[in-house]
Amino acid sequence: MCARNSIYTNPKPCKHLADYKLRHGFNTYDSIRNCLKTTPNGRTRVAKHTTKIPRCSFCDRYQGRLYFCLMCSSLWCPSHILLHAQSEKGHEVAIDMDRSELYCCLCCDQVYDPDFDKVVVCNQVKDLPGGSKSKTNSFEASGERSSKRKRLDSGIGLDLKKSELLVSMRDRRAKSCYPLGLRGLNNLGSTCFMNSVLQALLHAPPLRNYFLNDRHNSVQCRKRSGEKLCLLCDIDAISSAMFCGDRTPYTPAHFLYSWWQHSSNLASYEEQDAHEFFISVLDGIHEKESKIRNSGKDDGDCQCIAHRAFSGLLRSDVTCISCGFSSTTYDPCVDISLNMDTSNLSSSNANKPIKPDEKTSVSTLSGCLNLFTRAERLGSDQKLHCQNCQELRDSSKQLSIRRLPLVLCLHIKRVEHSLVRKISRKINQYMQFPFSLDMTPYLSSSIVRSKFGNRIFTFEYDNSNSSAAYEIFAVIAHSGMLESGHYVTYLRLKNQWYKCDDAWISEVDEGIVRASQCYMLFYVQKLLYNKANEDSSFVRISPRRDPFESTAGCS
Amino acid sequence: MKHSVNRPPTPDAAEDQGKEPPLQEIINVKLIESGEKERLMELLRERLIDCGWKDEMKALCRAHVKKKGRNNVTVDDLVHLITPKGRASVPDSVKAELLQRIRTFLMSAAL
Repeated sequence: MCARNSIYTNPKPCKHLADYKLRHGFNTYDSIRNCLKTTPNGRTRVAKHTTKIPRCSFCDRYQGRLYFCLMCSSLWCPSHILLHAQSEKGHEVAIDMDRSELYCCLCCDQVYDPDFDKVVVCNQVKDLPGGSKSKTNSFEASGERSSKRKRLDSGIGLDLKKSELLVSMRDRRAKSCYPLGLRGLNNLGSTCFMNSVLQALLHAPPLRNYFLNDRHNSVQCRKRSGEKLCLLCDIDAISSAMFCGDRTPYTPAHFLYSWWQHSSNLASYEEQDAHEFFISVLDGIHEKESKIRNSGKDDGDCQCIAHRAFSGLLRSDVTCISCGFSSTTYDPCVDISLNMDTSNLSSSNANKPIKPDEKTSVSTLSGCLNLFTRAERLGSDQKLHCQNCQELRDSSKQLSIRRLPLVLCLHIKRVEHSLVRKISRKINQYMQFPFSLDMTPYLSSSIVRSKFGNRIFTFEYDNSNSSAAYEIFAVIAHSGMLESGHYVTYLRLKNQWYKCDDAWISEVDEGIVRASQCYMLFYVQKLLYNKANEDSSFVRISPRRDPFESTAGCS
Repeated sequence: MKHSVNRPPTPDAAEDQGKEPPLQEIINVKLIESGEKERLMELLRERLIDCGWKDEMKALCRAHVKKKGRNNVTVDDLVHLITPKGRASVPDSVKAELLQRIRTFLMSAAL
């Protein structure tokens, strides 16, 4: 059951633990198996003395941490356990009673042992309702799904590697030294929401390559479907226009028209929400693809470019507070909407002033992600039916990411609804975000693992092959108020940031980007980012196509 | 000189355990026996997460580990570091809520 964990590096056992294991093997671990007691929320305690209160053998203390010596089952508080280990040879390893974690008395520090964790976790899984049988089944099922997903993921990776049509880009018409694909988009009447999202989409490595490799051929598309309207054809046209080398601002009128046809409820000259637009574009792309392929596949396995690039899988665990039974569901998603972590900034500071050098007053992306994956207790008006208790119970819900997408779109919800005053307000609070993002702590494997306490034990379905390291490539920033504001996109190409403000493209310093009010953040898997930013100025001529053939949209 | 055989042995000061256990202990026993202590601990954990206390302590620990180096810090170090600050920064509302819960419990247990 213990797979090699490549995401975390397992801490090495200290000398004392290593000696202890040589001497005793698993004997003492097995012996405490019977003393472990699990609470519904997943904490495992050592509960040998059910009648007496556990107390330190030296000072009778019963408060705070107590350690249970593995050799002689005596109890000690942190101040006196060192004495015990020094006076009795061989009694160096103990267990923290409240947390079931190993402690080396001579090193005075926590130590880790996968074998010990295995004992604890097996016991815990056995105790929780649902039992060991159903848990192993869900592990196996997830394992199968994950291996299937790995094949699909590597599929798109191979496409990118094998692409013979790396566009030749020693462009003779380029007036500036800006990298390829940078071109302004004209505002057609409050369409900055559209321009900003288009800039981000067109430079997302999977989509960029998809269109540059002519994976959506307009001629064939029209022949096949017969319809005049195809969002992909229009995006393909814009992509060609962006990469043809002409730097004069381009007018995406045809795309706007197509999109209005698709989302007629949003068709107006009013300012729209960029995130809403983003979702509707992906939806439009998906709809068209599923019509062509005539497949009723759900979003999780869909092969349209929108889903291949953006689709991820969220895991939701709902746990009954009373008995600990938890049910898990998986939902596909194309982005993650995050609430801002502003709640902990005001309440705690109001009570007791914390030292000013502690950075608790800045909202950060990791804070928002932590908030997203935090176990949330559902209100008593939201009792759910627990299968184990067979009645409505208070529950807690926790989200985590089961499978990360190639392109991770993070949407920062900057709207605050006041129920009292019945108005919505924009949250202008500055939020700090990193350029390199490690999503490991928000994966299901990490979140589920942490439910069992401080363990290094791994589960079968660890996605250790797919990377959780991301690099940012686009930021859509919003300035202004809720009803009337302006969107701009910052693009990161070859480690230089560019500001795309409708028709105006300019080079900017990364400080400007960091200081902007981010609304949507686009991260791509690090490997794809590195590939996309390789020097692509050499020519690779595919035998099929003349690279100098003029592309549609270029004058 | 003759020793008086009937003299009672001198009371050993260390063995003077005749006094009643302190009130705090009695309450503690009652809380544990009824399982209320576990519930209170859960409630406390939840409240401390909600108000950001846990994140603050985590940040303190991270800063300390960064300063000292990952391999030079022990659990005991961290506990000694954050215990005073942690105790001082528990919000009053959390303390009040827990006190109220304990009071209610004691009243119901006394009946």
